[in-house]
Amino acid sequence: MTNYVMLNNDEHKDLRINTSHSIEMGDGVNFAMTFPFEFRNAQAHYPIFFQKNTETGRFYPVALFGFEPNENLFLNDQGWGAAYIPAMIRRQPFLIGFQADESEPGTKKAVVTIDIDNPRVGKESGEAMFMDHGGTSEYLQEVTQNLELIHQAHEHSDNYISTLLENDLLEQFSLNIDLEDGSAHQLLGFYTINEERLQKLSAEVLASFNDQGFLMPSYMVLASHSCLRGLVDLKNQSLR
Amino acid sequence: MAHKRKKVVIVGGGTAGWLAAGILATRFESDGVGALQVTLIESPDVQTIGVGEGTWPSMRSTLQGMGISETDFIRECDVSLKQGSRFNNWVTGESDYYYHPYSLPSSYSDVNLAPHWQAVRDQVSFADAVSQQGKLCDHGLAPKQISTPEYAFGVNYGYHLDAAKFAQFLKNYCTNELGVGHVEAHVRSVSSMENGDIKAVVTDTDESYDAELFIDCTGFASVLIEKHYGISLNSIKQYLFNDSALATQVSYETEHDPIASHTLSTAQSSGWVWDIGLPTRRGVGYVYSRDHVSDAEAENELVQYLVPIVGRKAATEIDPRKLRFSPGYRQEFWHKNCVAIGLSAGFVEPLEATAIALVELSAKMVAEQFPENPAEMAIAANKFNQKFTYRWSKIVDFLKLHYVLNQQDDDGYWQQHRQIDTVPESLQESLTRWRSKAPWHLDTPYIDEMFPSASYQYVLYGMGFSTNVSELALRGRAQAQERANQLFHENIQRTKQLLSSMPRNREFIEKVHEFGLPKI
Repeated sequence: MTNYVMLNNDEHKDLRINTSHSIEMGDGVNFAMTFPFEFRNAQAHYPIFFQKNTETGRFYPVALFGFEPNENLFLNDQGWGAAYIPAMIRRQPFLIGFQADESEPGTKKAVVTIDIDNPRVGKESGEAMFMDHGGTSEYLQEVTQNLELIHQAHEHSDNYISTLLENDLLEQFSLNIDLEDGSAHQLLGFYTINEERLQKLSAEVLASFNDQGFLMPSYMVLASHSCLRGLVDLKNQSLR
Repeated sequence: MAHKRKKVVIVGGGTAGWLAAGILATRFESDGVGALQVTLIESPDVQTIGVGEGTWPSMRSTLQGMGISETDFIRECDVSLKQGSRFNNWVTGESDYYYHPYSLPSSYSDVNLAPHWQAVRDQVSFADAVSQQGKLCDHGLAPKQISTPEYAFGVNYGYHLDAAKFAQFLKNYCTNELGVGHVEAHVRSVSSMENGDIKAVVTDTDESYDAELFIDCTGFASVLIEKHYGISLNSIKQYLFNDSALATQVSYETEHDPIASHTLSTAQSSGWVWDIGLPTRRGVGYVYSRDHVSDAEAENELVQYLVPIVGRKAATEIDPRKLRFSPGYRQEFWHKNCVAIGLSAGFVEPLEATAIALVELSAKMVAEQFPENPAEMAIAANKFNQKFTYRWSKIVDFLKLHYVLNQQDDDGYWQQHRQIDTVPESLQESLTRWRSKAPWHLDTPYIDEMFPSASYQYVLYGMGFSTNVSELALRGRAQAQERANQLFHENIQRTKQLLSSMPRNREFIEKVHEFGLPKI
């Protein structure tokens, strides 16, 4: 279970964060939420699809790491075998939290929280968050920047999805994967962009897609399909 | 000539009028058969009855066909999901119950599980052996998840809705999206053609509306079919005695109370109480036979039903609306160029929520059989009358089935329902056959039957009926038994799976209000 508390330079001054990647560190997941701002980087390594949040029925984009629950084919003895790691993985063990803003009653301000029960959190080794005199480390500054980026990306991503749906661009697909060992897997519950309909959008709609930063990500999603081949290869290697 | 717009005038609003308008307007819109100009004339002085608050699963395809968003419908019509009916105290009157769920038994198209269930009938109810829905209802769970697309389902469902809001919602949709004309006026007279067809209806504002076809949706007033044409009702009171109802609405104790995802139907001394859970209130009413109980006694029974639900104080303070009706249906539904749809066509107690389903079926058939020229009119009328006379006779049989098998210790209403001379002959014949053969596809020979043979099974075995399949019939059935056992086993697994994955009905409705349902 997670246990998020507000980060505090006194209480947490001795804590260090293990930034390596492994199953033990909690990276054994077969997908992570991703955002349009990082599609260009993500599509170089991972297939990007859309799936529904089971609690709300709303769609969100994911980068795929494996074909079964808890299967991350990018993890190896050296860590994470891809040059780009999605922001939602890199954010661990931090999360943006919200707190009533005392200077402006009725509003909330964003604060950094940390999951103190996360396996990445320890005292022996890893990145320090605070300097000896209480200042924040370069590492924590990067963490904070990444969290802010994610925070801002949510709204843009939601608008992006709504626009895709309004223009009837999402469609369900299922994929059958036959592996070298003779076993077959089926990917279910994923959605992607219908290429034909994307191409048929009117000039007016395309221009508005472009203005809102929705056009390039859409083509990045289509381009990411080619990463399925690489993912199947990784899976076959893991079976040998 | 070929491109002349055909005109339809619907007299009367309410659920029937607006639903018919929507179905007719959409049908011709999407087919391009020839644009149809639909005008609905609604009297501002006439109150709608508005007690039809349960629908069949068919409403999903009806709404979808009209292009309506299920999310909008659920949000605006105070809708909850209905998975069937639960009949309380119908068998002995002492804490017995059974379900008639909307889902068919497992693999119903090729396997009849009913004979195989007879062997285990003491251990598991028929509904629980062949369907997951009774258990879902017992636990107050929804038939789908928030991530399930609009109109799609985990298990089959229809709706409970606020009839007044539904009529308003359809009115807005029909006039704004489907180009249906709306006239607020009272129809005062009818002008006829030489051949007896209606030429036009004239309103109290002295406007005249002509059309090729007129649809009478004026409810009990039956302005065209009865007052103009004098077509009378076939009474069915000798089979189904109920002719009165007391209807009321009660609040939930808190806004978090569970919403039942089935209609509760509880037997009383001389009829039964319906109990329909909407998100914001429950609609409760007693439908009874005045020959067997007085209005005052009936009201007292309704109060007694409500005491455990809302407390003695609130129960005694109800001021129920009184309804009188003559159970029966028209000798002709379609006469000349006039079709009766809704309560003007017929009325029977809402035991299986047939009222709105009949409106959908009637309007769909009119849309499909719409006469392209005068020569087709009589042919279409004949076909329609045959179809709906058959449907009504089946409704009578099926509703009577709920009553005829009762074992109530009573020498009035319930005893009389068991008397052979109150049972239609067609049902008597079926019951004789069902003693040795479980209902199956031959019992329901048409592709568009209102009740599949599965519905007869649910009620028959829910009421404790025994089918004694002969040794001869069972011979060589070892393989079938194996398949049946496998299906029973799968049903147990599927039930477990659904019980752990489906949200509570109220939670589901709240999420639809908050997030909406995905379209895909």
